[in-house]
Amino acid sequence: MDQQQLRNFEARCIQEEQPFCTAACPIHIDVRPFMACIAKGDMRGARRVLDRTMPFADIVGRICDQSCRTACKRREIDSPLAIGSLERYCVSTVPAVIKPPKLPGKGGSVAVIGSGLSAMTAALDLARKGRNSLILTCDEAIGGTLRTYAEELLPAQALATAVETLDFYGVSIQFGCSLTNEFFQTIRQDHDAVFLDRDCADLHGLAVDCAHPDPFTLGIGREGCFAGGGCLENSYSVIKQVEDGRRAALTIERYLQKVSLTAQREREGACPTRMYTVTAGIQSQQEVLPADQQTGFTAAEAVQEAARCIQCQCMECVKECTSLQEFHDYPKQLVRKIYNNEAIVQGTRSANRMINSCSLCGQCQVVCPNDIPVADVCLASRRNMVEKSTMPPSAHDFPLQDMEFSQSDFFAMTRHQPGSDSSRFLFYPGCQLAGSAPQAVEQTYLHLTQQLSGGVGLMFGCCGIPAHWAGRQELFAKTMQDFLFEIEEMGNPIIITACSSCYSIFKEFTPNLSLSSLWQILEDIDLPEQRGLIPQQPMAIYDPCTARHEPEIRDSVRRLTKKLGFSIEEHPVSGELADCCGYGGLMQFANPELGGKTARKKGQRSVHDGLAYCSMCRDNLASSGKRIAHLLDYLFPSADPEDPTLRRNPGFSRRHENRARLKQRLLTTLWHEESDMTPEYKKNELFITPLIMELLNSRHILEDDIQKVIFQAEQTGRRLVDPESGHFLASYKPVRVTYWVEYEPGMQGFIIHNAYSHRMSLPGDVK
Amino acid sequence: MSNFSFIAETDWRCACCNKNLQASKVNVEYMGSVFNVELMVCPDCGFVLIPEDLALGKMLQVEQLLEDK
Repeated sequence: MDQQQLRNFEARCIQEEQPFCTAACPIHIDVRPFMACIAKGDMRGARRVLDRTMPFADIVGRICDQSCRTACKRREIDSPLAIGSLERYCVSTVPAVIKPPKLPGKGGSVAVIGSGLSAMTAALDLARKGRNSLILTCDEAIGGTLRTYAEELLPAQALATAVETLDFYGVSIQFGCSLTNEFFQTIRQDHDAVFLDRDCADLHGLAVDCAHPDPFTLGIGREGCFAGGGCLENSYSVIKQVEDGRRAALTIERYLQKVSLTAQREREGACPTRMYTVTAGIQSQQEVLPADQQTGFTAAEAVQEAARCIQCQCMECVKECTSLQEFHDYPKQLVRKIYNNEAIVQGTRSANRMINSCSLCGQCQVVCPNDIPVADVCLASRRNMVEKSTMPPSAHDFPLQDMEFSQSDFFAMTRHQPGSDSSRFLFYPGCQLAGSAPQAVEQTYLHLTQQLSGGVGLMFGCCGIPAHWAGRQELFAKTMQDFLFEIEEMGNPIIITACSSCYSIFKEFTPNLSLSSLWQILEDIDLPEQRGLIPQQPMAIYDPCTARHEPEIRDSVRRLTKKLGFSIEEHPVSGELADCCGYGGLMQFANPELGGKTARKKGQRSVHDGLAYCSMCRDNLASSGKRIAHLLDYLFPSADPEDPTLRRNPGFSRRHENRARLKQRLLTTLWHEESDMTPEYKKNELFITPLIMELLNSRHILEDDIQKVIFQAEQTGRRLVDPESGHFLASYKPVRVTYWVEYEPGMQGFIIHNAYSHRMSLPGDVK
Repeated sequence: MSNFSFIAETDWRCACCNKNLQASKVNVEYMGSVFNVELMVCPDCGFVLIPEDLALGKMLQVEQLLEDK
């Protein structure tokens, strides 16, 4: 990722945009933390928020005309927050908590003519910036129109406090000035810049036109002179006075620094925001009104009203995604971490785990108002890691070995239908379905050969999606190349995939092939006569994440379930929004705990038993404790009378075994080919309890690995023994991982007591 | 992991040499980093014992640390 790409991605994530209230406020008061503080009774904290941005909070906090309130998102639910009343409560009960710093003096003197709120704000802001500012007024007290406010609305004490504040920051005030033209000329000559507050009756005597200041800079077309504030169309807005005073101070500061008066000031004043906040599902809570309108909120009422603030933010993607939640990221932070991770030459690449924990499922992109492609960013980063040899070897080793197994002669094969030498169709069940439900694959194939004419070939293998997800471009390209070669050899039949992942891969990377999903085919042919018992109770369809962009497949599945007589209760996070089961992006291998969490979350989306049509979803959700069956379990039931929603995840070893046995069985029964692929080391019988089997699966240790360890130990005699128990402990390193097995010779084979592994090399590792 | 000792009394004996294991300095290596650590080893044939808690504990931590370097 280059810096331009980083900026583009960052700009698309709107989580850090201002919330609606803050954007609508001309001085951008940070309303969210203000509300959060009040809601938890931290009134001093709330006052601190105001003190940071609001000049003369004792005045403005009491009488602000709250242009923010109309922007409050809560309006869509019930009624907007009483922001003004809460500010009034806060400043009436808590004195100033912080005084913003005053920068060291840097010269330049500014005369402020008039003493209304905009004059006061301009003089205060300039003084804080280190400029000498002087207020010159014909009045005998400051405030202008503010002085006409009733005492109960704006106590005289608030204005007295303002005078003290101005004094604290070194603003001098000259009262009773006679605003003549000569006076103005002198003032202009003696100062570097002048601001005229139009909330001052005597400005009319001056030969300066203050009526039409430039709305952006408040310049009035005369060198160094600016004007603002006052009544507009006979209405006096408190926050408009503050806005103009602040805008004038910023312009004058730029003027004194001799820089552009206009560049990059779009965010000053009320401005639009790209913030996106969904209010659906938020409960209605009526506005809290003070019991006594005269005295305003009590503390309890203020807390209650502020608690209605929904703390507007986007987080649409994070709300759904376990991975973003796990790493406390929204996409803007995530892309920056990835950018930094890629930039590290020497040091710890701390974002590796995060990058490899993404399921690449694309759900976030669907819910994002700006379609940020987080999966694409993570995948590109994985490819970058592979290219630069910085990919952690342990992240994807296991699934890539699984893929290698499925592409080896143990499983891979391609045949025309028995008795035929051409194929109009080619059934591609995929490695995971064959590993999970081999009998369903066999029956599905036989059914297809009976129902479809023109020959139905069969291809076993792996579509290469693990290599694709792992960022292994070369390996993946080779898989695609081999696949294309085989398909051509078969005469370019229509490929029928049972797995949505295979479908998505072939669709994207071999777009010229004819492709159909099993579910679309099954819709058009007769269904098998011997079907499983369809449950009476409702079931929820669990769409796989790889069918996110395949509405036709999802619809076919639904029509099939209807035809079969299922009672389906849809849950809201399905279809285009479907979660990943934890297998996607190889998440469950790079981050097993997160994979488990992700499967559980998907399972909990519905209270009903699940119906999946992806075998990884089926097995991972079953492991997470969800009652869930595969659609094929009902179309082609096994001889086992067990309820298919209770079928266990076979685990990694059993999947290997199932694939290899399926191939051998079909070769023997359908094609009458003899094959015994069993290598010497696999001929020992193992006895493994379900508990140990679970341990092996969680540690990603295959029975095959254990066979190798024992075979080697028994051949060479190199092993440890515990004289008391008679157990042996041996180790073996087939490729990169050293496996240790504690075992005991039994009457007919070996009893397995424990196994573990490590990647560190020892001297004289047995290979 | 360098300069660490992982010696602990063990019931495991070398079945091949019929010897008790003894503490010994051993070089272990991962991703180009070599660590000299003390482990339980067969004094005759040099069979090195990596116990389960070491493999799944400290060793795993160091492996993951090195993988992100």
